[in-house]
Amino acid sequence: MIPLLEKAHSMQLTEMEQHILTYFEDNLSTVAFMNLEELSHILYTSNATIVRFCKKIGLNGFNEFKYQLKKELSQLKQDSFSSDDLVRQSLATFKDNIESLHFEDLEEIRSLLISNRPLYIYGTGLSCTPARYLQNALTNLDRSCILIEFTDLLEAITYNIKDDAILFIITTHGDADRYMQIFENAKQRRTTVILITCREDSPLLPFSSCSIVTNDKNKRYHNTDINSRIGILTVIQILIEMIANELPVKA
Amino acid sequence: MIILNLDNSTIKNLSTNELAVLRYVYDHTSEVSNMSIQELAKKISYSTSTILRFCKKLGFSGFSEFKYALRSEIQKSDVPKISLPNKRSSKMIINSLCSDIEATSHLLMEGRLDAAIRYLNSDIPIYLWSPGGLTSVLIDYLEMLLFASGRQNVHKIETPKTANHVISNLGPDNILFVISSTGAYAPTVKLVKLANMNHIPVISITPYTNNTIANLSSVNFCFFANQRENNGAEYTSRLPIFYTISMIIKCYLKSKEPGGPL
Repeated sequence: MIPLLEKAHSMQLTEMEQHILTYFEDNLSTVAFMNLEELSHILYTSNATIVRFCKKIGLNGFNEFKYQLKKELSQLKQDSFSSDDLVRQSLATFKDNIESLHFEDLEEIRSLLISNRPLYIYGTGLSCTPARYLQNALTNLDRSCILIEFTDLLEAITYNIKDDAILFIITTHGDADRYMQIFENAKQRRTTVILITCREDSPLLPFSSCSIVTNDKNKRYHNTDINSRIGILTVIQILIEMIANELPVKA
Repeated sequence: MIILNLDNSTIKNLSTNELAVLRYVYDHTSEVSNMSIQELAKKISYSTSTILRFCKKLGFSGFSEFKYALRSEIQKSDVPKISLPNKRSSKMIINSLCSDIEATSHLLMEGRLDAAIRYLNSDIPIYLWSPGGLTSVLIDYLEMLLFASGRQNVHKIETPKTANHVISNLGPDNILFVISSTGAYAPTVKLVKLANMNHIPVISITPYTNNTIANLSSVNFCFFANQRENNGAEYTSRLPIFYTISMIIKCYLKSKEPGGPL
């Protein structure tokens, strides 16, 4: 129950106005984002009737009603969970992630990325987003590199990869089943492997030359990966900025 | 190597001959700073007037002023490298990233997310405009996350011709979702205008600055980031956009749980 509509209950209302009141109370949050036409269509009434109702409860019109409603809803939301809380929570997670990063690791990876050695960037599924992003940005920064989006292709490459090559692997789950063969191949051929993951206990960590573990959560929804990888994307962005920083002449 | 602080437009204005002069100056900075204009002209086989024109385009009154600037740059480059203004420490990089995300977060509050979630929670078809390049990476990310979170009726349209065709045949019961890192990319602006003519609601993610796309959108998310490019190839940070997308998805998933917002 919100204060805005409370006083309407003590008033004498027509049948239509009663109907409007009930609808408003049942659909508070939706009404706040509707326009007059949509509403009158749903309620089988005219715009004027709704405006009259708004005036009856002491407001100037429907726009003022929406404004008041949004204001009171947001006050109400402070008690329960709201999207604003979600934003605050995510911002805190974002900052935690940045604080847990080590400059030395970033610096090491940066120097590997700007070297002239062949660079392969791998990411599949949702992880292909950070991989493609890095590949695109590096190309724009005059560092050519190769993007691999399929696990099988990655494995195929590791059988005769050169020892001066660099593999940049992004995987959130860091699964042994899927990647152990690849990591063993790379180790045998003395290839440098950079691993970006969000699993602290990934069995692949000891096999990689350098690694960064972010604080993303491997969440699933209906058995589908829904990890947004913001932590990983942040690491990628920091690396891009560090590389761009070394450009001889800045535009 | 010295830095003359030339911006892109200055460089674009230089003719081929003048660019050759610039290259010579870069390679032989200290010698040039001690030459007369005749000596330099002889050395590089260009006329003294070409050199003069070159100096003027760079914003100097003549060759002597140019030499003066060169000398002061050489002196500057003798002092430790860290004093160069365009180098930032890792700490500074991270701090500016953080403040971009923080500012973007604040813009996500106050009902903007709720308004977009209302559209997502309906069954109305969503059309994602994928213009290519880095923005397409963002659109694919959004598409994958929408699919993964169980949203039906998500269509991606890729070339300007297809997009124009599709949008001009749609009625108001559809949504167009666009992302623009500048807010002014011509094909995107055109598409948004077309959607407006057909009364199709537009959800957009654009920079916080005043731009056409934002003004024509029903729901606009804006982000903070500095535009940057490397001789025409841009690498403006997309992190705030990734962040915005992930927030939209998080809220959408939350709203489907019992007791979530809306």
